[in-house]
Amino acid sequence: MTSLWRAGAVMLAGAVLALVSGRAATAQGTGIMAGVVDARQAHEDYMLKCQGCHRPDGSGDDRTAPPMRDTVARFLGVPGGRAFLGRVPGVATTNLDDRRLTNLLNWTLYRFDPAHVPAGFAPYTPEEIGRLRADPIRLDRVETRARLVAAFPQR
Amino acid sequence: MIGFDKLAERLTRSVARQSSRRSLLALLGAGITGAAAFPVLPVARAAGHAGGPAHQPVTSGNPQDPGDRTSCDYWRYCAIDGFLCTCCGGSVNACPPGTEMSPITWIGTCTNPADNRAYIISYNDCCGVSSCGQCLCNRNEGDRPQVRPQSNNDYNWCIGAQSSVYNCSTAVIVGLALDKPL
Repeated sequence: MTSLWRAGAVMLAGAVLALVSGRAATAQGTGIMAGVVDARQAHEDYMLKCQGCHRPDGSGDDRTAPPMRDTVARFLGVPGGRAFLGRVPGVATTNLDDRRLTNLLNWTLYRFDPAHVPAGFAPYTPEEIGRLRADPIRLDRVETRARLVAAFPQR
Repeated sequence: MIGFDKLAERLTRSVARQSSRRSLLALLGAGITGAAAFPVLPVARAAGHAGGPAHQPVTSGNPQDPGDRTSCDYWRYCAIDGFLCTCCGGSVNACPPGTEMSPITWIGTCTNPADNRAYIISYNDCCGVSSCGQCLCNRNEGDRPQVRPQSNNDYNWCIGAQSSVYNCSTAVIVGLALDKPL
């Protein structure tokens, strides 16, 4: 009798879990990511071009590749930050064409830092990325980043 | 029992009568010399090394993941450069005991012969113990020159680990590449 009860409890728990995860999946699915043409392609490109150093969850660390999680979209809120994201070497020198790189960069903002994407955010366009990456930041990337991070509004 | 006694005594005495202590030394000396020369003879020594595998094959048992994981020809090793953890006390997905898997890794794609699809492979290095020295592989497919550090496998990818001492490399599947790129 007890084992039957236990089995019932497990089944119930399973059903609740399935319901909850199903709802989470729907919520994620309905989120519209402006400027992202193909989210699966963006995820694949992230795995191939970024994840090796920035980690699967974008956490990074300050010793190697800087963190993007809960940070990357904050650059959009400071002067020069939008251009920085297109000119930073990891973005500018990646061997992807402008279209795929734009898809990837816009996706990265929504994927790792949705809370800080500004309300009226105009997504990057391939033309803008093509212009920004033609003038990549070189040796002063660490100082440039530190200067922009220092300008982040405190909250 | 008396019979045994008599037999042993007779044998001993006959040996003592017929041999000197010096002849025993000569016999032993000849034996030692002969024993030293004997292993040099080509008695099927080849079977111990070149003919046979240095490691027992390790397979997944899954037809979707074919091949011997101790061989450089295993499909996931298409861009590897280093020692196989499978030969070093770890596995294709796990580091040997006593080492730490680096969080920073070199990532590429390899084609699985079972379904001819491209899988995204992460070559996480295992770090903290000196080089394993077993099963060195260097296939480098898709390897880029060092001016593209994120796609070059000659760098030491132990940079993110506690210790930068390299031990061996794993080949972890992290995803499936799309059939048609954007």
